[in-house]
Amino acid sequence: MISQIFILSSKGDHLIYKDFRGEASKDSINVFYEMVTALSGDQTPVVMSHKDLHFIHVRQGGLYWVASTKTNPSPFTIIEFLNRLAALTKDYCGSLSEKSVRMNFALIYELLDEMVDFGYIQTTSTDILKNFIQTEAVSSKPFSLFDLSNVGLFGAETQQSKVAPSVAASRPIMSSRGEQSGKNEIFVDVIERLSVVIGSKGVLMKSDIQGEIRIKCFLPTSSEMRIGLNEELSIGKSQQKGYSSAVRVDECRFHQAVKLDEFDTFRILKVCPSQGEQTVMQYQLCDELPCAPPFQLFPSVQKDYVNRVLIFLKLRCDLPPKSTALNVSITVPVPKGSVSMSQELSSPDQTAELQPKNKALLWEIPRFPGGAQLSALFKVDVPGLSSASLLEVGPVSMSFELAKQTCSGLQIRFLRLAPTQTGLSQRWVRYVTHSDSYTIRI
Amino acid sequence: LKVINCCVWDPSGEIFELKAELNSDKKEKKKEAVKKVIASMTVGKDVSALFPDVVNCMQTDNLELKKLVYLYLMNYAKSQPDMAIMAVNTFVKDCEDPNPLIRALAVRTMGCIRVDKITEYLCEPLRKCLKDEDPYVRKTAAVCVAKLHDINAQLVEDQGFLDTLKDLISDSNPMVVANAVAALSEIAESHPNSNLLDLNPQTINKLLTALNECTEWGQIFILDCLANYMPCDDRESQSICERVTPRLSHANSAVVLSAVKVLMKFMEMLPKDLDYYGTLLKKLAPPLVTLLSAEAELQYVALRNINLIVQKRPEILKHEMKVFFVKYNDPIYVKLEKLDIMIRLASQANIAQVLAELKEYATEVDVDFVRKAVRAIGRCAIKVEQSAERCVSTLLDLIQTKVNYVVQEAIVVIKDIFRKYPNKYESVIATLCENLDSLDEPEARAAMIWIVGEYAERIDNADELLESFLEGFHDESAQVQLQLLTAIVKLFLKKPTETQELVQQVLSLATQDSDNPDLRDRGYIYWRLLSTDPVAAKEVVLAEKPLISEETDLIEPTLLEELICHIGTLASVYHKPPSAFVEGSRGVQHKRLPARAGSCLLYSPAASHFMGAGLGVAPAAMPASLGGAPAVGGGLGDLFDLGGGVGMPTGSYVAPKTVWLLAIKAKGLEISGTFARRGGIIQMDLSLTNKAMSVMTDFAVQFNRNSFGLAPAGPMQVLTPLSPNQTIDVSLPLSMSGPVMKMEPLNNLQVAVKNNIDVFYFSCQYPLSLLFVEDGRFYRQVFLATWKDIPNDSEAQFQIKDIHLNSDVASNKLQGSNIFTIAKRTVEGQDMLYQSIKLTNGIWVLAEMRIQTGNPNYTLSIKCRAPEVCQFVYQCYELVLKN
Repeated sequence: MISQIFILSSKGDHLIYKDFRGEASKDSINVFYEMVTALSGDQTPVVMSHKDLHFIHVRQGGLYWVASTKTNPSPFTIIEFLNRLAALTKDYCGSLSEKSVRMNFALIYELLDEMVDFGYIQTTSTDILKNFIQTEAVSSKPFSLFDLSNVGLFGAETQQSKVAPSVAASRPIMSSRGEQSGKNEIFVDVIERLSVVIGSKGVLMKSDIQGEIRIKCFLPTSSEMRIGLNEELSIGKSQQKGYSSAVRVDECRFHQAVKLDEFDTFRILKVCPSQGEQTVMQYQLCDELPCAPPFQLFPSVQKDYVNRVLIFLKLRCDLPPKSTALNVSITVPVPKGSVSMSQELSSPDQTAELQPKNKALLWEIPRFPGGAQLSALFKVDVPGLSSASLLEVGPVSMSFELAKQTCSGLQIRFLRLAPTQTGLSQRWVRYVTHSDSYTIRI
Repeated sequence: LKVINCCVWDPSGEIFELKAELNSDKKEKKKEAVKKVIASMTVGKDVSALFPDVVNCMQTDNLELKKLVYLYLMNYAKSQPDMAIMAVNTFVKDCEDPNPLIRALAVRTMGCIRVDKITEYLCEPLRKCLKDEDPYVRKTAAVCVAKLHDINAQLVEDQGFLDTLKDLISDSNPMVVANAVAALSEIAESHPNSNLLDLNPQTINKLLTALNECTEWGQIFILDCLANYMPCDDRESQSICERVTPRLSHANSAVVLSAVKVLMKFMEMLPKDLDYYGTLLKKLAPPLVTLLSAEAELQYVALRNINLIVQKRPEILKHEMKVFFVKYNDPIYVKLEKLDIMIRLASQANIAQVLAELKEYATEVDVDFVRKAVRAIGRCAIKVEQSAERCVSTLLDLIQTKVNYVVQEAIVVIKDIFRKYPNKYESVIATLCENLDSLDEPEARAAMIWIVGEYAERIDNADELLESFLEGFHDESAQVQLQLLTAIVKLFLKKPTETQELVQQVLSLATQDSDNPDLRDRGYIYWRLLSTDPVAAKEVVLAEKPLISEETDLIEPTLLEELICHIGTLASVYHKPPSAFVEGSRGVQHKRLPARAGSCLLYSPAASHFMGAGLGVAPAAMPASLGGAPAVGGGLGDLFDLGGGVGMPTGSYVAPKTVWLLAIKAKGLEISGTFARRGGIIQMDLSLTNKAMSVMTDFAVQFNRNSFGLAPAGPMQVLTPLSPNQTIDVSLPLSMSGPVMKMEPLNNLQVAVKNNIDVFYFSCQYPLSLLFVEDGRFYRQVFLATWKDIPNDSEAQFQIKDIHLNSDVASNKLQGSNIFTIAKRTVEGQDMLYQSIKLTNGIWVLAEMRIQTGNPNYTLSIKCRAPEVCQFVYQCYELVLKN
């Protein structure tokens, strides 16, 4: 049972405080803030306890979302709930920030009142909540399609304005009463996170994809929507792949509201999306990627002079030529005691720097077209270099984004709204792959 | 909304202004004013002075304004109880409002106002709302019963709300069912013995139906409630499992984990050869793996749970090793937890893969993680014997890197490997010695010194190495000093000629120049040993050591069982039972896994509260009389009667309980007890009586070392808190595996009992017959020879007076206590019984008993190689024959 819920700014200001059971004092907010800021690196921040009070918190939008309890509840329930609370706040207030929470405190109190009663979670569904919520959201900014300061899904501004008005996705959902300010829009995002480990000889050691289909819905009334996935999608490890290049996932989970009666035969998801954001399907794929990993690295590490290490990296992007990887950054651990570095890069938009504190060098490439090959030479000065120090170089880790791409090959064939839907509605489908953990061992 | 951001708070001015706004005629202005008040309240400013003005705004038809006012009321009602009464009328009126939203709002808010006076007014509206036509009102009212119970439990019982709540379990609306279940579960926790949540197959069926229809959060309540149910047979358990399994593919991880908890628990009842059992095992793996793709916070919580699950049922995840491989951007707490699970899953089949990973981890940047990875390699070597060699060579490679902390950690684990596989990998010692100078952590230094001492005979310059440590002896930590002392003594015993000087030096450093009593004591002991009997010293110091095993880091089985019952809760994250961190009565109920099918059939559903007793401390319900006497509790009693009836014609004698610990000496806790041997199991039967005014909980027991190594075989199971004037009977099974120390008298036992108040000590004496084993029948042929072999001066003679039994009855009686008559001779009207006894530690006792017809006095001669036991054997004869 949840005893209290509070939302704190990153500086510890009380934004929202609600006590459900009257069993803990308000001091607990300060106790929590002191504990969370005093945590050392190896302590787990997830669950903390002070006397007989236990704190569970998540960080979202730069804020602390905290629940306290005196009993033995499920931390899963509470973490899931706090994440939903943050998502709902975002849905209702448009964006998630200290400012939007401050401005909409009355709305958030009202939400909390309906979502939790005496510490029992009641509901987090916008469909149910919209029957009860009276307070109108106060939007922190007038909504403007041209306001690009709000970084959306793709991170890179240049891309997003071309693909979809991503800022459109960050406005309050609740405009049911009063003027109809928003458009009838629905966004369907296919987001994949890729983790790869490539061994020292270029062998693919481990790879997996965590994917999800997320809907953000601004339709005023909810009606059934049909999402068609690739027809040849197969699920489970046991199913034999045919001769066609079937798209396969190991396992998938669905949102409670998804109806699956046409899924088995036609791979169609039927869902009545609630207003706001929700994940309709999650899936994962381990080990057998349908495509080659997007990057291959050919490193060479040598001892040059007495106190210098030469690191020569050749990086090849194995994406199809039309695609591009964005915001590629490569981190290479360097020996302890590295003091300075000089580098030779192949183009001026790339940067590289030595971060002695992290014992690593960071090489950044803003755009990396498919099929291209880039190389870089780093000379790192390490006083007191020994041959064992060379072992400290590696493993290389990378992070990047692949826009308009899914590694699993999962596609949305069509997106159909029920004909009852009044007015013109706009439908957006977006694909993106993020690197979750991409490691190349040297 | 400037007020919120305003730094300087001018109470009089600001409050004055707000007061005016609150009393404004305009609705919008009023609303804004209440909002401002609530904003001030949130940031911690005191706006209680505005109470009457805010309450005045309550009577409005604007729902938004009403909600805001209610919000304010909840916060300040407690500090202004008299004023809160002013609001009551409006509440009562709102409970009758045609709009269900307002009815629900009123009943919800009233329950949150924790003022005693309000509760009187709350009862009638609550009763109506519990029967309201609108499910939204009903579900709110259901929660309100729990709220009211928290304020005034008696009132709730008197008003019959609990029965209404029970009826709601059969409500047509799943949301109402879920909230009723949640409220009842919470109320039931504070009444551990009440039968509030009367779970039977019918209600379970209703719950399972509601499960499919209600919201994800409602599903969690219902699943958690299901987990407390005890199915009456494996078929029922299977059918519940079948209906719960679809929850495993739910998107909400909390639902998944609650389902896993139910399945893990009910699986316990399924026979392992059942096909369905295997199917279920396969179904559990994918959802657990999927949890690892969530955010780091959820991943961590999931990993802590998986850690428990792999200890209980490693087969579920044995093929999923790869998902626990560490990602470079995992937070450190996730990495460490993954590493732990990797080792638990390591087996011969996957060890190569695991080692390759661990070796990679050992070169990472994070020092804590690297250390743990190196340690993990050592644990693999100990766990998977076939991999030991590869592990050692991996560790040697790591030592070559000369990274200081890697080297030190490697040496610490190599010491453990030496202890597991003695005389196998000593070839690496030379490499280790090369790194002697770089060791600066006490644990690593101590490990290295231990290795040098242990293998002194193979290291040519062992004396030089140890001498080099000796120079800075006083600057070393205690751990290193102790190890150095032992190592040098070992060295001396192995190579006495060259090291005399060294040993003298260390002994004088330890005994004369040190302030550490442990060190001094150990020094003196070695000194005496070496000076009095070098051969004995060798036996003591160079004794064979017990091997270490990989099981040392496992969670103790009873705790693991309890934690499995709490999967998905805080307990599973802390790896502590809820009683350790939840205060008060809540959570002190210890949960147990159900018994496997078959044995389960003995329990009728009504006797399900015997479950706990049935597993750990079966005879808890037995009276402390003769072992074979009928016991309470139907089926249970029969079971034991059967056990006692075989092979034991009369049963061993059990003395009545005597008071061991007086209440005045133990802050109100009185303990009386006795010992019994039942079917080869030694038990200490205790009666704990609470003569104090407050409830006692958290009982635990410990024994001091004693002559025969008696020790509790498990923790003392006191399942419910002991309320004042209550007596509880506990039976504690004992084992003989405790540490041994000769006591005076020999059968003396010193006991410490702990509860939530304090620790208490007492001593008691056990009859030696406790230790007479069932297979104590001596070979008839060699009896005489052995009898003669034992010197006459270790023969003891006793008189047992006033016995009116004939020899057959007497020998029957004695046999019940494992004193076996192996031969009988009759000479001139005198019966001679030859008897043998074997003690648990293997000592044989031979006896000759002479019984003259018509003479009530028996003569008993006892011979034993440990003559000090004779006196106590005689006491047993007396006890058994006279009772």
